[in-house]
Amino acid sequence: MSQVDVPQAPHDPHHHPPVIAPGHTYASVTDKISTIVLTEPVSRGWIVGFAISFLLTMMLLYAITYLLVKGTGIWGINVPVAWGFAIINFVWWIGIGHAGTLISAILLLLHQEWRTSINRFAEAMTLFAVACAGLFPLIHMGRPWLFYWLLPYPNTMQLWPQFRSPLVWDVFAVSTYATVSLLFWYVGLIPDLATLRDRSHRRSGRLIYGALALGWRGSARHWFRYQTAYLLLAALATPLVVSVHTVVSFDFAISILPGWHTTIFPPYFVAGAIYSGFAMVLTLALPLRKFYGLEDFITMRHINNMAKIMLATGLIVAYGYLMELFIGFYSGSIFESAAMRNRLFGPYAPFFWALILCNVLTPQLLWSKRIRTNVLILFFISLVVNAGMWLERFVIVITSLHRDFLPSSWAMYYPTRWDWATYIGTIGLFLALLFLFIRLLPMISIFEMRELVTPHAKSNGMQAARSLDRGDDAHE
Amino acid sequence: MNHMDTSLGNRLDQIRRYALYAGAAGLIVWLLASAILGMRVALGAYLIGFLYVLGLSLGALAILMLQHLTGGAWGRMIRRVLEASSRVLPLVTLLALPVLLGMRALYIWTQADVVAGDEVLASKGWYLNVPGFVVRTVVYFAVWLALVFLLNRWAREQERTPYSQQSNWLRSLSGPGLVLYGLTMTFAAFDWAMSLEPHWFSTIYGVLFLIGQANNAFAFAVGVTLLLAWWRGVSETLSRDTLADLGNLMLAFIMLWAYIAFSQFLIIWSGNLPEEIPWYLARLRGGWGVLALLLVIFHFAVPFALLLQAEVKRNPRTLAGLAALVLIVRAVDLVWTVAPSFSTHGHHDGIWVALLAPVAIAGLGGLWLWQFVQQLRSRSLLPYPEETAHSLDASAEVA
Repeated sequence: MSQVDVPQAPHDPHHHPPVIAPGHTYASVTDKISTIVLTEPVSRGWIVGFAISFLLTMMLLYAITYLLVKGTGIWGINVPVAWGFAIINFVWWIGIGHAGTLISAILLLLHQEWRTSINRFAEAMTLFAVACAGLFPLIHMGRPWLFYWLLPYPNTMQLWPQFRSPLVWDVFAVSTYATVSLLFWYVGLIPDLATLRDRSHRRSGRLIYGALALGWRGSARHWFRYQTAYLLLAALATPLVVSVHTVVSFDFAISILPGWHTTIFPPYFVAGAIYSGFAMVLTLALPLRKFYGLEDFITMRHINNMAKIMLATGLIVAYGYLMELFIGFYSGSIFESAAMRNRLFGPYAPFFWALILCNVLTPQLLWSKRIRTNVLILFFISLVVNAGMWLERFVIVITSLHRDFLPSSWAMYYPTRWDWATYIGTIGLFLALLFLFIRLLPMISIFEMRELVTPHAKSNGMQAARSLDRGDDAHE
Repeated sequence: MNHMDTSLGNRLDQIRRYALYAGAAGLIVWLLASAILGMRVALGAYLIGFLYVLGLSLGALAILMLQHLTGGAWGRMIRRVLEASSRVLPLVTLLALPVLLGMRALYIWTQADVVAGDEVLASKGWYLNVPGFVVRTVVYFAVWLALVFLLNRWAREQERTPYSQQSNWLRSLSGPGLVLYGLTMTFAAFDWAMSLEPHWFSTIYGVLFLIGQANNAFAFAVGVTLLLAWWRGVSETLSRDTLADLGNLMLAFIMLWAYIAFSQFLIIWSGNLPEEIPWYLARLRGGWGVLALLLVIFHFAVPFALLLQAEVKRNPRTLAGLAALVLIVRAVDLVWTVAPSFSTHGHHDGIWVALLAPVAIAGLGGLWLWQFVQQLRSRSLLPYPEETAHSLDASAEVA
């Protein structure tokens, strides 16, 4: 990355907390992060956590198997609510992924160096969330083994996707997103994989990490090309932060259904995605930081900044709700205002008011710096926002579908146990993948943290930079 | 820095004089034309001019608050220009009076007989009514004037005593201030522009105005800053990185505008509903369609392609040129958004409104510029030097 010249910051009382605690050297950073993977024993907490999430993953497999045997009739969907949990969960998961891309790509391009310690696991979170998200439209198709019919390929069936349908745009948006996110994450890992290869005491570790490191030796030429590639990938990933959820919002807005067909949807969906994504990053980062003692790397500065981004995006989302309601009643269209009245006072009204409580009222606490830096309350708020964003998608999908233009076709939607099993199962899959990730790969980017050591050691008056450890001759 | 050198001062005095002449001339031509074209056309063109200068002041206010929240060298460079733009708001408040006084000619929902014969309009009476419109206008301006007053006052005090409490106050006000601005300007856009066609509605309409204002005020601030640097002979010493930051922000605003404008178009086009699509049908046919195409090319494609290039952003001349382009296309966008509304409901005044709009923009813009230069001269051109360390320190910080 470009060498940022950090000025000698004056120590006034409003000075920001550092992005890396003082006193760290190249060696201590490398040790601290790599030992979690290489030498620390498997803790009981990890085993219990992984076991639970693995069991939930098994439940997911069971639910999907039963679905393939029986068909989508086992879910609560029917006419008129043909999009039930599957689409709610799809939108929820894909939204969560967005924070990872924002942190790793946009904040990198904006020279926000505080992103460094959270980008790795935020990117992993993106990948796992996209995996969970992608599952839902696939199994919702009824015959998922024919998913390739969605792709435009020459065939004898005279079959071609309907390119005016945003559902087809979704196929491209999400598959592009998954591919770029995976590439970005993997490319970011390469130097660290080489560090793990060099420090691993086991032959198996050296072999596996070695193969994955693609022969990285850390020569100056490697670094030069590496940084070019990384920046290019960041630039490629940046539009995806906006495009993916914009296309997802089109799934709804392109229709003419009241409550779906509204012009605010694209920016409001994108803001909602980033909102839920940062909530999930906090939900994961706060416990990880505590259990693995990473307070030096994920400092109050990170937590405070993430809380601020959550507040800002939460306000945009609240603006979206206000505009939907206001225009619904202002429009003078009986269908629009009926849809809004149904949202506010209809049979699903408790979901709407719970959503307002979770997504609009609770995050107002984040105006206070004391709350933004209170880890426990913040963790709680992040959970509330995660729930709120799920409720938001529930309200959008269900309340608009269950009562459309024709009262004779109105009906209620009730999720079945299979809906719940699939949804909770994906949470299990997500967590299981994360548990594996924190054991097998460095959850914080080692080489990027080392880049932070020098300027910050200097600004703290430390003589730390000299101690290059043995794995680090690659670095400069 | 506090005392501008005399040649620059003379130059600014000259501009101030010419701006006043241009403003007076524009308003006289506008008055003459309105005698021929009628009250409705004249007020329509006036409304466009009013929204244009309002955007220059309010957009500056919004970017100023954004800049207090995020810090960064780019903000320091244009802060005094933004503050001067925001301090023209009292004049803009006066300029709102003709809109209020002429609302019966401008907005058909004010006419009782029209409303009585129209079920949809009658059902909108809870929002679209004369007392509500007047009260809301007063509230909007009260909020904006209060924000402008406090931000400028604290900035002035901060200037005298750096590292004072005022820096914190500025930051603390800016967050809620942005929320207030977003809400008030959204409803102001509904009131003043969207309700020209009271049957039509779009949830994103307010955002289009917010982005448009930020876009315009930012381009203006960048253009003025570069021009001043040029006249003072220091444009070669401008930090190329800061220039690139300014260019990137300009690019971000351009892209945001295009994203929002296209989203609204795509959603309404695909829905093709009778209550929504007429708005676009009116704006894509005939001469209006040409304006729409010009917007696609010059409000998006050209600046987008140019601002992607590092050299364009880092060159003060090309950056200033692009800023001037934005100032023009923002006016075109306002004309395209507002003027066709005057060709609905059996009227065909849109074309005359569009033709008279440049005169109104020149008149109101001249007055605005006259006040702006006055305000710019009243304070130093750059924030107090000792503040540098502080704002650089904050530059690593995101919102």
